[in-house]
Amino acid sequence: MDYILDLLLKQIFGQPFLLLAIVVFIGYMAMKQKVSKAIIGAFKASIGILVMGMGSGALIGNFGKLLTALQNATGIQGAGLNTYPTMTASYEKMDAILGEGTGATWGIYVLLVAFLMNLVLVGLRKFTKIRAVYLTGNAMIVQCGISTYIVWRFLGTGMIPTVLIASLITALYWGICSTLLIEPTKIITGGADLTVAHQQMFMDFVAYKLAPKLGDPKKDDIEKKKLPDSLNFLQDSILATLLVMLISTAIIMLVIGKDGVEWLRSADGFNQGGYKNFVVFLLWISITLTANIWVLLAGVRMFVGELMMSFKGISEKLLPGAVAGVDCAAIYGFAPKSVVLGLIFGAIGQILGLVLLLVFKSPIFLVPGFIPLFFDNATIAIFANKFGGWKAAAGICVVNGLIQIFGSMLAVSMMELTWWQGSADYATVWVAIIAIFKGIGSLFGIPIAG
Amino acid sequence: MLNILCVCHNGMGTSMLLKINVSNICQENGISATVEACAHGEALGFLMNTDIVLTSPEILDFLPPTDAKIVATTNMLNKAEVSELLVKCVKENFPDEIA
Repeated sequence: MDYILDLLLKQIFGQPFLLLAIVVFIGYMAMKQKVSKAIIGAFKASIGILVMGMGSGALIGNFGKLLTALQNATGIQGAGLNTYPTMTASYEKMDAILGEGTGATWGIYVLLVAFLMNLVLVGLRKFTKIRAVYLTGNAMIVQCGISTYIVWRFLGTGMIPTVLIASLITALYWGICSTLLIEPTKIITGGADLTVAHQQMFMDFVAYKLAPKLGDPKKDDIEKKKLPDSLNFLQDSILATLLVMLISTAIIMLVIGKDGVEWLRSADGFNQGGYKNFVVFLLWISITLTANIWVLLAGVRMFVGELMMSFKGISEKLLPGAVAGVDCAAIYGFAPKSVVLGLIFGAIGQILGLVLLLVFKSPIFLVPGFIPLFFDNATIAIFANKFGGWKAAAGICVVNGLIQIFGSMLAVSMMELTWWQGSADYATVWVAIIAIFKGIGSLFGIPIAG
Repeated sequence: MLNILCVCHNGMGTSMLLKINVSNICQENGISATVEACAHGEALGFLMNTDIVLTSPEILDFLPPTDAKIVATTNMLNKAEVSELLVKCVKENFPDEIA
């Protein structure tokens, strides 16, 4: 009996690579697909989650070396801003205490329960006013992972209460924020029946409400103006990631000096004594980190499509009248110039924020990431430009860049992770949520779980 | 068997939803196809054996040169519109692949 319980609970339903395969298999069957297709999808999901783990493990390990060198040289604690590694770093912290695979297992249960709660909230729309179902699977998995870690870290709860509490806050965030964006998204897309479901929804709403007070959308609509093409290369996700890594690593190497770089080359660091040339070593580190991120993303891509297909199918079947909450990039085709505008002014805001961190000798330094920088500011710029013109969009994105840096700094100081999500909502709404959980935890004298 | 590639900015969200819709469209119209999703920054590796690229007009500038047929639409998630364009493209260029 014990053997069977252990097999079922720990080795099958407690191991993310099998649990996810089972979830995907059930999803395919529920969509009335062929069994052969379901088996292929299930195995691919298994491979995907292990590939994700490999990319994440290498990334967190390698990036950690840079952060250690920085801390040894200056005492400054560093953290990277990127969505997916924040989820895997959270899982790593949970696994260290609860056992290998526990973090991701709890995270998958939160994903399923939060999705069901979202459906229930929409089903009860007469009372809840929530009309949108959040279907952006790639953002959902990350947000569920982070919620799981927040609840467990500050409340120290077991699996079932952690899953229920984390699911509820996530489902409420999804439902409320994506419903707020139904009206403006309809205006932007010229009547498409969808809404933005991503990780800067609250700031999109702020931009929608604030922009008309800052500018005139008729006179200053950037979509009707000409823009130079020369900045387009910044939209290449891989190249932009490399560029940010290159600049950040160069700064860190300059700050830690000759001894620090020597440590990085040593066996305690990257164990790459052969790269004696500074520039070659810098290139190797930056390209390695970018490659690690790419592997992580490639892993996510192998299973997230399968999950999205099931979520979309179930939602359409059970709630035909619900508004589909989709990835923010789905509206980029309607406002391509706002996208570039947001990227530029968001970057200005983030750079300004980083300079201020240095000027005020902040104990935490952040390495920006392409996902929070590009997707957040691009989307916020679309909302701001549509309702207030490009001047409003530029101003709001600079401020958002600053908020992303300072809000993330607060989050890192409370969460003690080496990666943070970095998106606008995770620098505002979620910082407040973390503070509330931290407050509740300390009110009841619960020790921090890890 | 056609190879169809859905392209967006990061290859994770929009192109993934598009991929789900395209798989359904192919099934409904008797088109035999393998559908993949990717970011425009990594499209080069996929394009070698891609027959049709589905994307949004503003992404066209980022795509590497390719012989694949390109179908671009502003609202990538409007299934009816994507269906009409895709079926037309298959009928014109790959008439043998549609039942």
